Amino acid sequence: MRASEIFVLISIIVFIFSLAYITSLGGLGQLPPVNVRLLAQRYLALTWNPLKPFMSSSGYESVTAIVWDFRGLDTFFETAVFYGAIIAAIAIYRGVKISGKGRTTGMSPIARTITRLSIILIPTVAASIALHGHLTPGGGFQAGSVATVVVVLIIMVFGRKALIRKGVTKARILLFRSLGLLGIGFTAVAILLAGVALGLNAYIFQNQPKLFAPLGFPKLYDGMILGGSLLLFNLFEFIAVTAGFTLVLLLLSLGEEEVRGVVEK
Amino acid sequence: MNLSLMTAYVVVVSLYVNLGIALYGVFARPSLIKKLLAITILSDTANAFAVLVGYRWPVTGTPKPPVYTNSTFNNQTLHYYVSHAVDPLPQALVLTAIVIGLAVTVFIAFIIIQYYRLHGTVDVRKARR
Amino acid sequence: MIEVFTLAFLMLVSVASVVAAYLAIRERDMVKAIVYSAIQSAMYALIFYVLMAPDIVLVYIPVSVGITPAVLLFVTKKTERYDGD
Repeated sequence: MRASEIFVLISIIVFIFSLAYITSLGGLGQLPPVNVRLLAQRYLALTWNPLKPFMSSSGYESVTAIVWDFRGLDTFFETAVFYGAIIAAIAIYRGVKISGKGRTTGMSPIARTITRLSIILIPTVAASIALHGHLTPGGGFQAGSVATVVVVLIIMVFGRKALIRKGVTKARILLFRSLGLLGIGFTAVAILLAGVALGLNAYIFQNQPKLFAPLGFPKLYDGMILGGSLLLFNLFEFIAVTAGFTLVLLLLSLGEEEVRGVVEK
Repeated sequence: MNLSLMTAYVVVVSLYVNLGIALYGVFARPSLIKKLLAITILSDTANAFAVLVGYRWPVTGTPKPPVYTNSTFNNQTLHYYVSHAVDPLPQALVLTAIVIGLAVTVFIAFIIIQYYRLHGTVDVRKARR
Repeated sequence: MIEVFTLAFLMLVSVASVVAAYLAIRERDMVKAIVYSAIQSAMYALIFYVLMAPDIVLVYIPVSVGITPAVLLFVTKKTERYDGD
């Protein structure tokens, strides 16, 4: 072992021990704690609370309520960061054509048959996660990640060209990405626009009616919980995340000889 | 020493050890892909810490996930939910952090491929000038 | 009884995650290292499940066991397979 590696090891051990000492002094406290913080209790109590209609959110699920209602603006900009990373990755491949021409290469017939089944099953699960996200664990981010797995499967088992021939072209993915992002933006300002049109007070990222702001998304329809804006946000985030990852994976699966001629020019 | 306290110590110590292993991978391994792998382990460990801080062990009964599962609503069910559910805020932050971390990982992967095109290797010690 | 089982399971899973992370960093062949990293991610998913975070399990399993290894395998296929000398 060289001297530089010993130095690295010692400094990592010293760093980890000092970090553990600092967190045990005041950060973590008693483990596991008996109670949660006051802010968490407030969030939990206001997730589904018909007694306080002007302060509560509109679903059973506290995590989705925090992600898209209590801290909705936070998630909006996190989606912006997400797309910033994806657009930066795409910018390297600017000018590269994604074509479906040529022979397809894939795996054995056994793998193909199994994958044909899961191509139907996985998007169904993803859609149920997205549309049920305000009632059971799930939401837009989870559903988008689950739906991306089927893209990985198709690229690995059938080959990228089969995916493009089935109609998943770059233009259509970009269309779906724009649809998802525009939907998120429109849902964020929909109540504000309605309030301006009707001459009433309203906020951005408003889900339920607030005090002195009487407009809001529908919470119940015929005894069924609609979830207000949570349902719309989950659906559009599902579309946006799936489209973004699909585009990046298509570019990543391109053969090296197709890319080199364009990138090194 | 009771079992729950021992479990808490084992989990926290193993997460710290994972943190150290991931830092060693980032600093000492020469391959850029191995560095990227170590960065994903590092971010996963940080996320696990955030979730662990939000965990609770209530005085009576067992902890519940932060989902209101009762179809009826009154003060009693709400009090039961608030006094038994774990902290939802770290989970909401970790949820978005994982997806954004994947997008950043993909971006770094593209950068590594571009580095290989320019330098002919992903070993940081052997890179051509 | 079921609490004792849960706690022992949590301990076992966290120790297994340490072993998998160590093997993933020490392994020279990147393909094997990616598989070890996926095992470590699966252990973390079980930790999240026991820590009452079903949302994170739903997002963590596809991302860390499915997509991240696929991305790293694509990168490995396009560049070098072995790490170091």
